[in-house]
Amino acid sequence: MIAPYLPMVVIDIIGSFAMVVLSLLCCYKARILRETDQDNALFLYLVWISTGFMIFGVSRSVGHILRQFLILISQTDTWQMIAAFSGSVNTVSFMLVSLITLFFNQSWKINEKILTSRKKLEAAHGQLLSLNQNLEQKVMERTEMLTSSEHKARRIFEYSLDTILVTDAHFKIQEINNAGITLTGYTKEQMLAQNMGLMNFIAHASDWAHILTQLNTNEYVLNEECDILKSDDMEIRVMITGGVDYGAFGCAKTFHFIIKDINEKKQMEQQIAQADKLAALGELSAGVAHEINNPLGIILGYTQLMLKEESEFEEDLKTIEKHVKNCKDVVSNLLSFSRKGSGKMEHVNIHNMLDGVVNFLKSHSDFRKVQIQLRLWKKESLWVEGNEQELSQVVLNLMINACHAIKDTPDGFIELVTQKKNAHMLIHIRDNGTGIAKQHIPRIFDPFFTTKPVGQGTGLGLSVGYGIIRHHQGKIMAANRKSRGAQFTIRLPLVNTNSNEE
Amino acid sequence: MRHFNYKVLIMTAYLIPALPGNLYALQLHSGSEGIITHQIGHLFFLFSMVVLMFMISGKGLAIHKGWRLIQVSAFFFILWNGCAIAAHFLDNQIYAVSVERLTNGYAKIRTQNNSGFLGWIYYGLKLDHLLCVPAMFLMYKGLSCLVAEQKAEKGQESP
Repeated sequence: MIAPYLPMVVIDIIGSFAMVVLSLLCCYKARILRETDQDNALFLYLVWISTGFMIFGVSRSVGHILRQFLILISQTDTWQMIAAFSGSVNTVSFMLVSLITLFFNQSWKINEKILTSRKKLEAAHGQLLSLNQNLEQKVMERTEMLTSSEHKARRIFEYSLDTILVTDAHFKIQEINNAGITLTGYTKEQMLAQNMGLMNFIAHASDWAHILTQLNTNEYVLNEECDILKSDDMEIRVMITGGVDYGAFGCAKTFHFIIKDINEKKQMEQQIAQADKLAALGELSAGVAHEINNPLGIILGYTQLMLKEESEFEEDLKTIEKHVKNCKDVVSNLLSFSRKGSGKMEHVNIHNMLDGVVNFLKSHSDFRKVQIQLRLWKKESLWVEGNEQELSQVVLNLMINACHAIKDTPDGFIELVTQKKNAHMLIHIRDNGTGIAKQHIPRIFDPFFTTKPVGQGTGLGLSVGYGIIRHHQGKIMAANRKSRGAQFTIRLPLVNTNSNEE
Repeated sequence: MRHFNYKVLIMTAYLIPALPGNLYALQLHSGSEGIITHQIGHLFFLFSMVVLMFMISGKGLAIHKGWRLIQVSAFFFILWNGCAIAAHFLDNQIYAVSVERLTNGYAKIRTQNNSGFLGWIYYGLKLDHLLCVPAMFLMYKGLSCLVAEQKAEKGQESP
């Protein structure tokens, strides 16, 4: 049969070109697909199969085009030589595409495994993420709690009015709060630089030994009272509570102490006890004085009556009269101490009163070698309700005592200072004498208590002064000065004037 | 460069025995071995395409348009392979058909029993590009669809 040859040739050539182009495009698309998901085994499979198709398409098409070309130029023999190679390459390319295609199942299985693993990985990742978020949340919450707790503890430590002290196992100071710095008078840097320990502050070795024993035995001390030595060598009464802390997370052993300043409380208690004692003594003295005063009056009356008449016992009677008068003076002083005496109360200008006393004493022989310094409150005059004579007596008595105390001091001086404090005024009488022995301070205002030799003092001066000041609604206090000597302070209520308030 | 030349020389040495000609090896191979091997290749190709079609259906990939197009492409390749096998059988195996190019732009198709029907069948079979080109085009479209799907999945616009 006869058939048109051209369609066969045209379709063969165009089809071959189309196969080349399409197979290359397939390869290109498959590679793009693979790039979208590198882990997808099916896409890898499509890359392989596209590559196989490309080899198949190109090899076959080249063969076909070459054949048409050689036939067209009448080189049929040449084609016959090449045809076997072209056919073989073509066969190999079929085989290749077929083999690759049959790998589909394996590729599928690999892909399934990859997807399953990926899902598991994603699930695990999700769980890890969730756990991590929870952990972060918990860490944040714990950190906030810890910060809050630390802040509270820090505030307690820093703002506590009691001293809080942390020491190492050898009681060397590691931490001390502001109250502790105020109490001891040392700065924290000084304490750390000098490697100071708690033992350096305890005034008496016996107290420290007792605290140490308590700590070694019980690992704590509770409300132990002792004296602390400040940087200016002043002693302060404190109460110590503390214990051992073995710490957490392998921290070193430390001791924590709370030191409470009970100095003022103790002084107050002593003053109250002193006041109670003196009140009792006052009552007793008043009773005794009253009982003795009457017989003494009778004895003195009869003695004076007998002296009006001439008698061989005149000298004896005068001796009796003299001693009875002495006794009456003592009784009078006792009554003053117990405030049984009466005095006219009026407004007293303290500065005028003190000027009077100083002027009087300057002319006294004992005060000629003594330097008297008068430092009066300059802002205003200080007025009190009282008996000027009695108040003068008290100041006079204190000045005389001070004069006796500085008797052996080369540059002895007595300082008189007035000061206004709220609704009260203070009179300080200071000297640089021998001071008051510590053991005498609690008894210094007791009637008949004296440190002077027998016959040189009755021991009633200070107790009378105490009685007078108490009668004036005031207080009298005695203490040793930091440097040398003693200080007596009289505290009296000011008269209620407009200038009373500072 | 020297390494490359060395490789080329070895390759050439291997290919020299493969040159067509009368070579008397230990075993004598008949001339029909080539076409049978080629036919087996086509059959293998056809079989693999059938497997691919069923695999795509069996694995549930046919829900994706791209894989469906690849499935159709495989079907066209099956048809093409069938067509090629038949054509090779007629002209290279049983020599039932031969084509002679005429000078007037026509060709004379000789069939064994002068069957016109067989001649036209053979003529149709010779236009096999009408099957393999669409098969390759469908493969390209299938891959393009898969790329577009993948990019859409990842929130990207296909170019």
